[in-house]
Amino acid sequence: MTEYFLLQALNGLVTGLIYALIAAGLTIIFSVLKIVNFGHGALYMMGGYAGYYAIHLLGVPPVIAVFVAMAAVYVLGIVFEFLMLRPLYSNKIDRKDEYAIIVTFALFMVLENAAIVAFGPFNKRPPSFAEGAVHVGTLTITYDRLAAAGMAALLLIGISLFMQRTSIGQALDAVSQSRDSAAIIGIDAKRMYAVAFGLGAALAGGAGALIAPIFSLSPTMGDLPSVQAYVIVVLGGMGSVPGSIVGGILLGIVEGLGIGFYPDPNRALVYSNAFGALLLIITLLVRPTGLFGRAHLRME
Amino acid sequence: MKRHWASPMAWAVTVVVALTLPPVLNSYWLHVLSTSWYYAILASSWALLAGYAGQFSFAHMAFAALAGYTSGLLAVDLHVPVALGMLCGIAAAALVGGAIGWLCLRLRGPYLSLFTLAFALIFQLIIIAEYQFTRGSLGLSVPGLFAGSSDVPYYYTGFSLLLASLAVMRALLRSRVGIFLRATREDEDAAEASGIDTSFYKILVFTVTSAIAGLAGGFYGHFVGILTPNLVTIPEMGLVVAMAVVGGVESLPGAAIGAVFVYVLSEVLRDTGQMRFVVLGLIIMLTQRFAQNGLLVLTVSGLGRIARRALAPAAAEASSAVTDVEKMAG
Repeated sequence: MTEYFLLQALNGLVTGLIYALIAAGLTIIFSVLKIVNFGHGALYMMGGYAGYYAIHLLGVPPVIAVFVAMAAVYVLGIVFEFLMLRPLYSNKIDRKDEYAIIVTFALFMVLENAAIVAFGPFNKRPPSFAEGAVHVGTLTITYDRLAAAGMAALLLIGISLFMQRTSIGQALDAVSQSRDSAAIIGIDAKRMYAVAFGLGAALAGGAGALIAPIFSLSPTMGDLPSVQAYVIVVLGGMGSVPGSIVGGILLGIVEGLGIGFYPDPNRALVYSNAFGALLLIITLLVRPTGLFGRAHLRME
Repeated sequence: MKRHWASPMAWAVTVVVALTLPPVLNSYWLHVLSTSWYYAILASSWALLAGYAGQFSFAHMAFAALAGYTSGLLAVDLHVPVALGMLCGIAAAALVGGAIGWLCLRLRGPYLSLFTLAFALIFQLIIIAEYQFTRGSLGLSVPGLFAGSSDVPYYYTGFSLLLASLAVMRALLRSRVGIFLRATREDEDAAEASGIDTSFYKILVFTVTSAIAGLAGGFYGHFVGILTPNLVTIPEMGLVVAMAVVGGVESLPGAAIGAVFVYVLSEVLRDTGQMRFVVLGLIIMLTQRFAQNGLLVLTVSGLGRIARRALAPAAAEASSAVTDVEKMAG
């Protein structure tokens, strides 16, 4: 019985790392552009399909396909930002909050339904990163899960270093703190907005490509993970990348264990999805700035 | 001067056309239009909540479904008369809606959207999980509002409910409440500072719009005869957002007309499958990007401009004729 829970905790850790990746992308978009991207789940889904077609049409090995997917979704993000989000930085439109919610939500509608048209409603499954599984005692954990967790962890470390050590990362942080001050010291805020949205999209896309061999692809695969990502971002404090990482891993493990504890397995599955949403509601009510929130990143 | 007669005139024409349509329509389009009244009530009440009051809620469909299920379960399990059940459904939606409004008092902008999105998701999952009460994803069969299988009584009922809810919301907005809501939306702190009890009006607008959503939900359930968790899905909410955005979130009749237009359009495009939602999504983006007040307002002002341009030479002629006459008289 303890082994069962250990297995659930391990599986939870893997999904937690994936959640953290999606949430980190959401956080970067939020902290720089000050908008909540309601199309984030669809970008995650697009990453999964981009990886799948990179493997099948271009003949790329699965590990490389993850990076191809990230690049593809990065481009998608940049294009969307250029076409639809640019008016946010000028005074051409009224009520920017609403504008941002509506257009990112429309992005979700377009991508999810276009995916049903283009890729078909049925599940697709890309080839594994590596066949087989590790056995420790009675525990079995597939190489796919290990590979996805490992690569997700590497990407998370990579993005943290990028944000802290590179000049672009610091420029992004500067814009997130004050657009005007950043402009004074010569940072092109418009370019940073594009980079931030592209980067956030790419992280979601990478997460989608990593999860694909574990839980196959479907056009609606992004619906629930995006809610989990909102939970993590709110819980971790809007705009804090380390907060997103810790929050993601915690949520994954707690969710995995939750399924193990609930007596009725059918309902456990349904309610494990509701768990994240409930946590989101409670966090918003009790501590809207999150656990690791930074005051200057609060929504204006 | 023009507005004084143009607006009631347009209303009268719309109502007369809507009332005389059923004998002309075949049963398929009658059903489509009757369903579009449901969406029109939802879109216009959502426009009041999101457009006027600035409370960008994603839980609107959940209130409609809550009322539908309340009324349906009362009718199925306790054999409560349908009309009474619908009233109970409206009361339930108003109560829960008010409670959500109260809980969301501190939340602004996207935070409120996230909160209501999570609420709608939980509500949908409860309907799926508690299948011994709700029949889960299979759907709950509920009795009809009228005996017989004709859609004609539903068509007229739905249309009357739409007009009634528009009238109620218009009366609300014409009173001081309308001004207070707009003031709160534009600057909550400033509104608070000028003595408006913003909390009260926020809860009020949530309660009223949820009750109206509940009315729509109850009508819809007893009209189509089956309730499923799909009523609460994100795409359904997206459809209502699209309707309000296309019609104009700041105009309640605009949102209602937008709803009928979008729903009929989605039926015309039914053969294209999911492609129609891609088209709708693109329409939302383009409308927001280039005509934030909605396509309807754009069309009306465009037509007005054309009309003025067409009339302009005539008006110039008339005024020059007047000066001629004056000269002659002089």
